[in-house]
Amino acid sequence: MYSFLFFLILEILGLIFLILSFSVILIYLILMILSALEMRDYLRKNRFADYGDIITSPIAPGVSILAPAYNEGQNIVQNAQSLLSLHYGKFEVILINDGSKDDTLEKLIHFFELEKTNYAYNPEIETKPVRGVYRSKNMSFRRLTVIDKENGGKADALNTGINIAELEILACIDVDCILSSDSISRMVRPFMEETNRKVIAVGGVIGIANNCDVQDGTVTTYRIPESLLGRFQVIEYFRAFLMGRMAWSRINGLMLISGAFGFFRKDLVRKVGGYFPKTVGEDMELIVRMRRYMEEQKIPHKVGFVPDPLCWTEVPESEEILSKQRNRWMRGTIETLQLHQVLRLNPKYGILGMISYPFWSIFEKSAPILESVGVLYTLVLLVTGDFSAVYFFALLVMMYLLSLLVSSFSVLYEQIAFNNYKDKKDLRKLIWMIIIEPFVIHPKIVLWGLQGHFDFIKGKGGWGSMIRTGFKKAEDKKNLTPQSTS
Amino acid sequence: MKRKVRWIAIGLFSLITGLTRAQENLIPEDSIGFRDFLILQNEIPGVSYRFQIKEKLISDRLLTDSLYLFSKTDSGFLSKLFSDFGQIRQIEMSLLNDSLQYKLHYLVFSEVSSVAATREYLSNRIQSGDLLVQFEDVAPSDDLVSLASYVPYLPMQRFKLRFISDYKLFIVTGVISFFLIIATSMIVAMIFMKAKINKVEKLRKDYDRLIIDPLTSLLFEKEKEEIELMKFDDIYQYFPEEMLAKPLYKDVLIDRIIGLNKKMKGDFKEKLKAIFKKLSLDKISLISLSSSEWDKVAMGLVQINEMDLVEALPKVKVHANSSNFHIRSQAVATLLNLSEKVDLTFLRDQTFPLSLWQQMNYLRIIRFVRHQKDLKLQILFDSKNPSIRIFGYKLVSVLGRVDLIEHLAARSGEVSDEEKIEILEVYSTLGAHMEVGFINDCLKSENAELSMAAAKAAGSIGDSVSADILVGLIAVETDFRRKHGFLKSLYDLDRDRFELATSTNPETETIEIRKHILDPMLQHV
Repeated sequence: MYSFLFFLILEILGLIFLILSFSVILIYLILMILSALEMRDYLRKNRFADYGDIITSPIAPGVSILAPAYNEGQNIVQNAQSLLSLHYGKFEVILINDGSKDDTLEKLIHFFELEKTNYAYNPEIETKPVRGVYRSKNMSFRRLTVIDKENGGKADALNTGINIAELEILACIDVDCILSSDSISRMVRPFMEETNRKVIAVGGVIGIANNCDVQDGTVTTYRIPESLLGRFQVIEYFRAFLMGRMAWSRINGLMLISGAFGFFRKDLVRKVGGYFPKTVGEDMELIVRMRRYMEEQKIPHKVGFVPDPLCWTEVPESEEILSKQRNRWMRGTIETLQLHQVLRLNPKYGILGMISYPFWSIFEKSAPILESVGVLYTLVLLVTGDFSAVYFFALLVMMYLLSLLVSSFSVLYEQIAFNNYKDKKDLRKLIWMIIIEPFVIHPKIVLWGLQGHFDFIKGKGGWGSMIRTGFKKAEDKKNLTPQSTS
Repeated sequence: MKRKVRWIAIGLFSLITGLTRAQENLIPEDSIGFRDFLILQNEIPGVSYRFQIKEKLISDRLLTDSLYLFSKTDSGFLSKLFSDFGQIRQIEMSLLNDSLQYKLHYLVFSEVSSVAATREYLSNRIQSGDLLVQFEDVAPSDDLVSLASYVPYLPMQRFKLRFISDYKLFIVTGVISFFLIIATSMIVAMIFMKAKINKVEKLRKDYDRLIIDPLTSLLFEKEKEEIELMKFDDIYQYFPEEMLAKPLYKDVLIDRIIGLNKKMKGDFKEKLKAIFKKLSLDKISLISLSSSEWDKVAMGLVQINEMDLVEALPKVKVHANSSNFHIRSQAVATLLNLSEKVDLTFLRDQTFPLSLWQQMNYLRIIRFVRHQKDLKLQILFDSKNPSIRIFGYKLVSVLGRVDLIEHLAARSGEVSDEEKIEILEVYSTLGAHMEVGFINDCLKSENAELSMAAAKAAGSIGDSVSADILVGLIAVETDFRRKHGFLKSLYDLDRDRFELATSTNPETETIEIRKHILDPMLQHV
C-alpha cells in the first residue's frame, strides 16, 4: 500500500512537471509575441508625440516628485539638484528625510538655505511623526520641500510625502536614481493620452548605470558591468522590463511597477490609503490594491508602461547584497499575494484575478519551490531506478533552450528598439552571460528565493496575521490601526 | 556536512522502500489472490481465520455443526478460529450451499486484522526469514513441446519503433520540435529585422548626406518662383532621377524638408514648400491618407499639416472623427492649422472623448492661429460631448476671452458639476466679479469638489456674502484639508474676517492652519 502511494505520487509529480514545463514554454512564447506587438505599437506612436508642448502647457498635470532619503548625506545635495533641474513646467520635489542618522538634513538645510516652516501637517495617511517641514528662502529652490520625520521605512516616508503633495501626479522615486531630463514629460504622457479608461499608474524602465558614463543626469555611454552578477542583472532587467512588462501592459495585466521609478494618480493613492508600510513589497502591493479598488468600483482603468530609457540606478554586484534584495523581493511577492488572495481566479477581478494573479503565484512566487522539488524528484527517480534519461534530457534541453531564447530575444529587443549597448565586445559578453546564466547564476537565484520563503514562514518583516488573512476590500488598509515598525 | 547527511538519508529511504517493495511483491495485493496465497501456505504461525454470518437466524443444523461451532453475537454468528488455510474451500462449502451471506475474517494473534495489515505482517515475517513461502507447483502435466504448439508464435523482440509506441515520448518530442521551430523562427526573424533596420539606417544616413547639399544649394541659389518654374531635367541635376525612383530616398527627402521647415522662417519656408510640391512629394502624402496602416495615415496628415497642403483639407476632414486616436488627433490639428476660416463644428461634433494630450495639442495650434483667424469658441459649448465642452471653457480661460463670459453665465446653472468646476476656474482666472452669485451658489453645494473650487474662486473674486458662507462652512467643517482650503480662501478674500475667525479660536487644528497660512515661507507653494 505504502509503495503504491509512493509511486503514485512520483507519477503525479512527473505529470505536474511535464505540464509546468510546457506551460512555461507556452507562456513565454506568448509573452514574447505580446511584448513585440506592444513595442512595435509604442515606437509607432512615439513618432507622433511632441513632448515640447507638455513643459509649458497649462493643460499638462502637475507632478509631485517624492524621494525618501535615509543616510544619503554623501550625495543628497547632488541628487536634489538633479531632481530640481528636470525639464517640466509644473512640478515640486519633496525630499523626505526618514530619520537619517547622518548629516543628510544638515546638508540640505545648508545648501538650499532651508528654514523650518509652520506647515500644518495632516496625517491623512497614518505615518510616523513629522519633526519639521522645510522650505527655502531662495526662490531658485521654490520647488523644493524637505520633510524631516522619524524613521519608519520607505513606505512610511512615501506616505508622508503623499500627505503633503500638492499636485495631481505622484512620482515616487529612489533618491539615488539618475533621471533623464525629459523623464517627467514622457511618463506623464500616458496619463494624458487615455480617453476611455483612467490611467491610475505608469511604470518606467530602470536601466543599469554600473560602469556607464553619466553626464547632466543622463547616461551618455553604455557599458555592461564588470562582474558576472552585474551582467546577469542587465539581461534580467531587459527580460523584466522590455519583455515582461511590455507584454503585461499589452493585456492590461501589470501588477508591478518599479518602486524606484513609478508615477501614480494622487487622488486614487490617497483614496486607497497610500503605501502599506508593513510589507517589504510595498510597490507591488500598492499597484495591486489600486487595481483591486478600481475593479471593485467597476471603473475602467489601466496601468501604463513607458519602455524608454529614462531612469538608471546602480545595481548590487555583491552576492551578499543581491541575495538580500532577492530575498526581500520574494517576501514582498508572497506578502502581496497573501494580502490580496481574494483575487485568486476570481472572475470579478478580470485579467488581474484570472491571469496576472495566478501567473505570479505559480511562476514567480512558487518558482523556487517547484524548481527545488524538481531536482529532488529527479534524484528520487535516480535512486528508485525509474529515471528516464530520454525524458530528462529532453526536458532539460528544452528548458535551457527556452532560457536562451527568452534572453536573446530580450537583448535583440533592446538592440532593435533602443540600441544602447553599441560596443560589440559588450554584446559578446552579454551573449556569453546568456549561455552560462542557467548554470552559474540561476541556481543562486532559486536558493535566495527559497530563503525568502523560509523567512516569510518565520515571519520576518511582515505583519504576521494581517498578511496571512489578507484584505477583504481594497480600502481595508485605510482602516488598519497603526502599529509600531519593527 | 549537513547536505551529505541529507543525501544519505534520501538514499537510505529509497533503498529501504525498494527492498520492501521486493518482499511485498511475493504476496498478491488483491483479496482473491491473497486468499489463494494463504491457501498455499496451509498453516502460518500467528495467523488464523474465521467466518461471520451476518444474518439474524441460521438453521439449527449449522448452529450445532461441530465443524464451525457458531456463537451468536450482536453483529451475527461467529465461527470458531481455524488455523489451516488449506481447508478454507472445504469449510466454506456448507455456507455456500445454504446461500448464506458470510464474511471471511483474518486474525493475527487472535486479533481481527484487515487484509492490508495481515499482508504487512506476512511480509515482515518473510523479510525476517521466519516464514518460508510455498509456491504453487505449476509443472505442466503434458510435455512442453505439445503445450507450446497451442500458443501462436510471437517474436520475443518486437522491432517496433519505441518512439511511436511510447506516446509520452512522442508528445515530448513533438512539443520540443514545435518549440525549436518557433524559437528559431523568432530569433531568425529578429536577427533579420535587426539587419534590415541597420541597413535602412545606413541607407538613410547615406541618402541624407546626398540630399543635404543639393537641398541647401536650391534654397540659397533659387527664388521661390524659380523653383516653381524649374523643369524636371533641372531638378534631376540636384536630385538624380534614379534616386528619386527609390521610395526610401523620397522618405528621407520628405523628412529632411519637414525637419528644415520646422526650423526655418520666412522665404525659406515657402521655398521648401515649393520644392516639396515640385518633387511631387505632396502626392505621397495624399496617397498615404488612404493607407490601411494607421501610422502611415497619421504621417501623411503630419506632412500635409507641416507643408500647408490646403488642397488636401477635404480628405483630411474625413479623418477628423476617426476611431484611431492618432489619426483623429492629427486630422483635427491639421484642420485647425490650415482651415482659412476655422469653423470649429468638426471639433464640436466629435463623438470620442477628448484626452488631455489632444487638448494640449489643439490649444497650442489655437493659440497660434487665434490672431489670424476668427475663432467662434462658443460653438464648442453646444457640443454633445462633455469633454469638448470642458475644453471650450478651458480655451476661454487660456485665451482670455472675457467676451464669452456671458455665454458661460447663460448656461452655468444647467451644466454638470464637473463643468461648473471648470467654469469657476474661468471666472477666477478672468476675474469675473459679476458672476459672484454663481460662485456663492456653488459654495453651498454638497459636492465637496465643487464647493472647494468655488471657495478657491471666492478667494479671488468673492464678496461679503461669500465671506459669510465661508465662515459658516469653516465652523462646521471636520475634514482637515477642506477646512484648510476654506480658511485660505477667507484669508485671500477678507483678512479681517479671517483674523476674527481664527485668532481667538481655541481648536488646535485651526491654530495650526492659521500658522501655516500666515507663514511667508509657505506662500509660494
